[in-house]
Amino acid sequence: MKRIILALCLTLLTAVPAFAHFQMVYTPEIALDEGTDLNMKLVFTHPFEAGHTMDMAPLQEFYVISQRGEAAEPKKTDLMEYVEKITWTSLTNSGAAYEAKLPRKVVRSMGDYVFVAVPGPYYEEEEEIYIQQITKTVLNVGGLPGNWADPVGLPTEIVPLDKPYANWTGGVFRGVVLSEGKPVANADLEVEFMNHPPVEGKNEFQKEAIAEAPHDAFVTMGIKTNDRGEFTVGIPHAGWWGLCALGTGPQTEHEGKELSQDAVLWFKAVDMK
Amino acid sequence: MRKLITLTLLAGFVFAASVAFAHTPLCSCFDNGDGTVLCEGGFSDGSSAAGVKMYVKDSSGNVLLEGQMSENSDFEFDKPEGDYTVYFDAGEGHVIEIPGSKIVE
Repeated sequence: MKRIILALCLTLLTAVPAFAHFQMVYTPEIALDEGTDLNMKLVFTHPFEAGHTMDMAPLQEFYVISQRGEAAEPKKTDLMEYVEKITWTSLTNSGAAYEAKLPRKVVRSMGDYVFVAVPGPYYEEEEEIYIQQITKTVLNVGGLPGNWADPVGLPTEIVPLDKPYANWTGGVFRGVVLSEGKPVANADLEVEFMNHPPVEGKNEFQKEAIAEAPHDAFVTMGIKTNDRGEFTVGIPHAGWWGLCALGTGPQTEHEGKELSQDAVLWFKAVDMK
Repeated sequence: MRKLITLTLLAGFVFAASVAFAHTPLCSCFDNGDGTVLCEGGFSDGSSAAGVKMYVKDSSGNVLLEGQMSENSDFEFDKPEGDYTVYFDAGEGHVIEIPGSKIVE
């Protein structure tokens, strides 16, 4: 009997689902009619379950690359001066995160805005590894496209093949995973739905879930890139979707420990009404 | 046969023309807060609005200013006294009107 209980315990322990880490760079709307003040939340968490929120290491970089029209030159604006530390509350704990209150002048012009957050490596004690998720969120003002499809020049990044701010539910979203500018074949991607969206005006997730996962494999879906580094995901529900390419960055070590340098990209879908 | 070729060519022209008009004109203006107003233009396919005619009219429809979008698809002008409206005129069906009351800093 003891042996059975022990076996059960072990099974339960090992069965703890490995929910995926996702660095969020969040603001409620990313397809804006006109430029406005923005409040962006930078949170390192598990978005499907709104589970354990990690204490972010000090943010290394936060900037935006904007472009109005396809012929225009991209413009880089550093945003670190607007960044402040906050405490983010998930359903299970609270963790150190950041917010950036951006004045309208930053996102006043029409065009695309590719926001880039480079967090410091986070030490994951259970796995004894560092995780650094270099994250992009693309916003548009006024419907005039710009640089949404251009690589930003990050060590690793997901370059969209579809506008990340203009997706209908039921469509697909495609992209290419790059490492030092080159496509990564057979890369592992995790896909997760933001199932408990942030409560507006607060630093917390809403308690109610939108969807229920019938099996742990649906919490974090796994896909792979093809031999050209491309991937396609379907979009079954409106809202925010996170994509994370695992360990595709060139840096593999930090302070003597293994480092997983990941690329994260967010896109948003809306229902056709 | 010749007729068919002509027809096909014609159909081709019509199709090409409709494709060229499948974009939407876009224009947005801001009050710079220093007595000037900046308007930015473009098209929904990302193409430039350089050369697009710009008009500023008063409440009676009199043209106060006219000019065109620069190489960078923008147009700056001195803010007129009283009510005014900005017109981005990229041709028939491609005109945008922005009332001065909606142009803020």
